[in-house]
Amino acid sequence: MQPLRWLIPFLAIGLLAAPAAAQNPEIALVEKASGKVTVLRDGHPLRLRAGDPLYQKDVVETGPDGSVGITFNDNTVFSTGPNSQLALDQFQFDPGTAHGAMLAELRKGTLSVVSGEIPHGSPGAMKIKTPNAVLGVRGTTFAVRVY
Amino acid sequence: MAAIRPQFLALLCALFLTGCPRQALFVVLPNAEGSGVGAITVDDGKKAVTLDHPYKSAELRDDRSAPADVSKSDIFSMFRRAFEARPVLPHRFRLAFKLDSTRLTAASAPVYRALLADIKQHAAYRVDVVGYADTLGSSDYNANLSLLRAVAIRNALVRDGVDPRAVRVTFRGKRDLLVATPDQSPEPRNRRVDVSVR
Repeated sequence: MQPLRWLIPFLAIGLLAAPAAAQNPEIALVEKASGKVTVLRDGHPLRLRAGDPLYQKDVVETGPDGSVGITFNDNTVFSTGPNSQLALDQFQFDPGTAHGAMLAELRKGTLSVVSGEIPHGSPGAMKIKTPNAVLGVRGTTFAVRVY
Repeated sequence: MAAIRPQFLALLCALFLTGCPRQALFVVLPNAEGSGVGAITVDDGKKAVTLDHPYKSAELRDDRSAPADVSKSDIFSMFRRAFEARPVLPHRFRLAFKLDSTRLTAASAPVYRALLADIKQHAAYRVDVVGYADTLGSSDYNANLSLLRAVAIRNALVRDGVDPRAVRVTFRGKRDLLVATPDQSPEPRNRRVDVSVR
């Protein structure tokens, strides 16, 4: 096969260009949303639907009938039940090295977690806060409720 | 009769921690899809409780963490809605290619079908497609070949109904070999595209 060398930069630009602004990259994706689910972003509440991206500093809230399932870039999976408030304080992940860090805060409600790659690539770097405690994650499947 | 004073309640609560309202509950669950044994540590700032078996739980009362005893049925009823909202778990797929070609090996055809079926399980998804080559030929040639392999998979997925905006393509050429070989070695296991779906 004749190498189409001239194609590489051309394709690379089109295929690799990040869709979101580089200074605020997508950290997670809403996969399921039912009932009332909102995100507080830069002080503004927005309705969340399946397929929406999430960003660092977002605060995700569910109403009395709401639940939401989200998947992070490191393959960590979160889902919350009704009347929950979850702050995505910090998230970094480098898929090349599997290094990263996550800090999320469950302020109220229920949260179910299946951890992804961060606890393997960066032991000790995945933490979940509640109002009076910090949970360190070695892996993998657990749940937290804040009353 | 005088109402019980709040200070008195607080004293009772401090003397008998189980009398304090529960502030938070932490439960380890059986690992999803049989991944390795996990553990969490609950730290109240003074003391840490480690939970490393399924259904072990800890609670926080009066800002202090302690082991808790909660039945499976209570766990399932209090977290039912959260469990129901759990997304399809992320999966990885490895597709092998013929020598110097962007065509899949016969053995990889069912892997492609499994990949497509997995993506279709998700209501919303992201797909990462990474192309690789073996070390036969120049770096430039293999960079190009690995990109064309990844693009071939991306195009097939899009043809099969996958949202092109959710697919990201990258290529590694003859770097990041799956099986270490000297340069200029044909190695079928290195001629691959790795796809992760989340």
